[in-house]
Amino acid sequence: MRASGVPFLTPMLTLSVLFFAAPLAMLVGYSFVGETGFTLDNYARFLGDPFNFRVLVNTFRLGIQTVLGVTLLGIPIALLYWHSGPRVRQVIIFLTLIPMLTSNVVRTFAWIVILGRQGPISETLLAFGFTDGPISLMFTELGLVLAMTQIDLPLVVLPLIAMLSRLPTSLGEAAEVSGAGPWRILITVLIPLMLPALLAGWVLVFASTSASFVTQAVIGGARNVYMPQLIYREVGTLFDWPLAAAIAVVLLLTSGAVLLAITFLSRHRRLANHA
Amino acid sequence: MTTRLSRRHFNILALGAAAAGFLPMQARAAGGLVAATFPGNWEDGYRRVLTPLLSEKGFDLTISPALAQDQLAKVMASPDAPAFDTLLMSLGQGAVAIENDLIQKIDPARLSNWDKLDPAFQGEYGPTVTVEVNGICYNPGLVPRPAGYADLFNKPEYAGKVSWTGFGSNTAVMAYTQLAKIFGTGPDDMEAVFQLFRDHPDQLNNVVDSTNSQMTLFQQGEIAVFMCSTGNVAKLKSLGLNAEFVHPETGSPAAPVNIHLTKGSQNVDAAYAYMDAAISAAAQTELMAPPTATFPTNHDVALTPEIEQYVTREDLPNLVYPDWTLINQNRDAWIRAFDAVVAG
Repeated sequence: MRASGVPFLTPMLTLSVLFFAAPLAMLVGYSFVGETGFTLDNYARFLGDPFNFRVLVNTFRLGIQTVLGVTLLGIPIALLYWHSGPRVRQVIIFLTLIPMLTSNVVRTFAWIVILGRQGPISETLLAFGFTDGPISLMFTELGLVLAMTQIDLPLVVLPLIAMLSRLPTSLGEAAEVSGAGPWRILITVLIPLMLPALLAGWVLVFASTSASFVTQAVIGGARNVYMPQLIYREVGTLFDWPLAAAIAVVLLLTSGAVLLAITFLSRHRRLANHA
Repeated sequence: MTTRLSRRHFNILALGAAAAGFLPMQARAAGGLVAATFPGNWEDGYRRVLTPLLSEKGFDLTISPALAQDQLAKVMASPDAPAFDTLLMSLGQGAVAIENDLIQKIDPARLSNWDKLDPAFQGEYGPTVTVEVNGICYNPGLVPRPAGYADLFNKPEYAGKVSWTGFGSNTAVMAYTQLAKIFGTGPDDMEAVFQLFRDHPDQLNNVVDSTNSQMTLFQQGEIAVFMCSTGNVAKLKSLGLNAEFVHPETGSPAAPVNIHLTKGSQNVDAAYAYMDAAISAAAQTELMAPPTATFPTNHDVALTPEIEQYVTREDLPNLVYPDWTLINQNRDAWIRAFDAVVAG
């Protein structure tokens, strides 16, 4: 008879209940606190303000744009890894991991230099005559998406590399022998095989981008307001904690719904068979 | 020889390791002090100057950087076991701390340097350690010298080069009350200020979350003008940057900055030693030097020419001291309204 695994799970379950489930329950409870006791007023205040709804939409748009960015950049990097020899593979892994070993705050401030008027993007565009004068991508959504794409790129590249490492490179050659061109091989053979890894990466990137307070605040500035900044404003500036809790619960539920949808998609029978 | 680690030994080791984790807390309770200061210049200066002074008196000092609003939020989160033993804030946030019963009145008899402060700096909730004088910081290499706040909106050479922050920042809120007086009917006519921003959307291009972010952007040449304290300009100059301070023609807003003793502090003796050190002539003389360049409230400290170029003791009564009661009454509504204006 196999021994029960419950004793081994107990420490993890205890920690989860004490430091995750209980604080989460308190947060949810706090969102219903009003001056006279239980109230739905905090949710009504949040949902009744069109500005807040716009902030919620902005947050999701940022998450989706970053997911697109990391996908467009991550797939070529992963394919390059797949087709490379051991030395190039080591370099790719090293370059992918290096940003993860750097503080998010440092990376974010480095992007101020990159996106600024005197930064490499502006100078390159100026040198090739694409702009008449220096341009700044600071405090723009495009600049923020570029920074978030770089910061979150490893979250997609690493699962893709893990997935492709299990596939023989002869797979592409077989498709080629059967008459498929490079684009057809990519779209009909490789991307379907990569999809489970992509979905796993998208979950991580979307969650990370939606909650990335520092980068949103520094690169996005005050003109691009996202949900974490709204929560911080209510907690740290206006001291309206029940409203902050309600906003946090709304963010949790809405992004949780997106993440659940992606997770269910990745467990779909046809996709799971590729894994 | 082989060494076997039994489950019992492992458990004892684990418990020992866990118990060791509590040692710093015990050490803190015995003589350590956690003092909140503003990030940047203040943090560097207080850590450098006050840590050795406290150490001489047998107290360990931990300087914890936090903006005044963040200090309030953290203490409110756990008033029975406050995150800081002392707070550093100006009158606006000080009033909020008193209202929420977060700080306590002090006993001046426990401060040996108390009599070195002018009566205006002897607050019942703690001593004033400096007066922050606010104005406009500009880069002479990029824009002409503005005469005051109105120029920033009326003259085209400033379009797109000025940075503002939200109403959470004291520096910003003092500038906005001045703008409300210039373009509206009085310091609380903030709708006039919001309309001003709507009429000049280029002024919204560089709105950021804090003065520290503005310093970074100024350093990078992204902005040429921002609302500042004299300390901000001293710091930028110490980095070799082309920065100058302007006293606005309508007057320079000023904010006395006080140290407060948190209610529930477990290190009251250390807190008094810290307050006393912060108003001592030795500390204030050092803190007066660039890059901190804070105005000394201890009247035994002679002002240096670097400080007098910004403000003298005779200037103090003529500075503009905002009505913080009025500001605190309206601040929440102004913050929300400004965010809506900025985000379009």
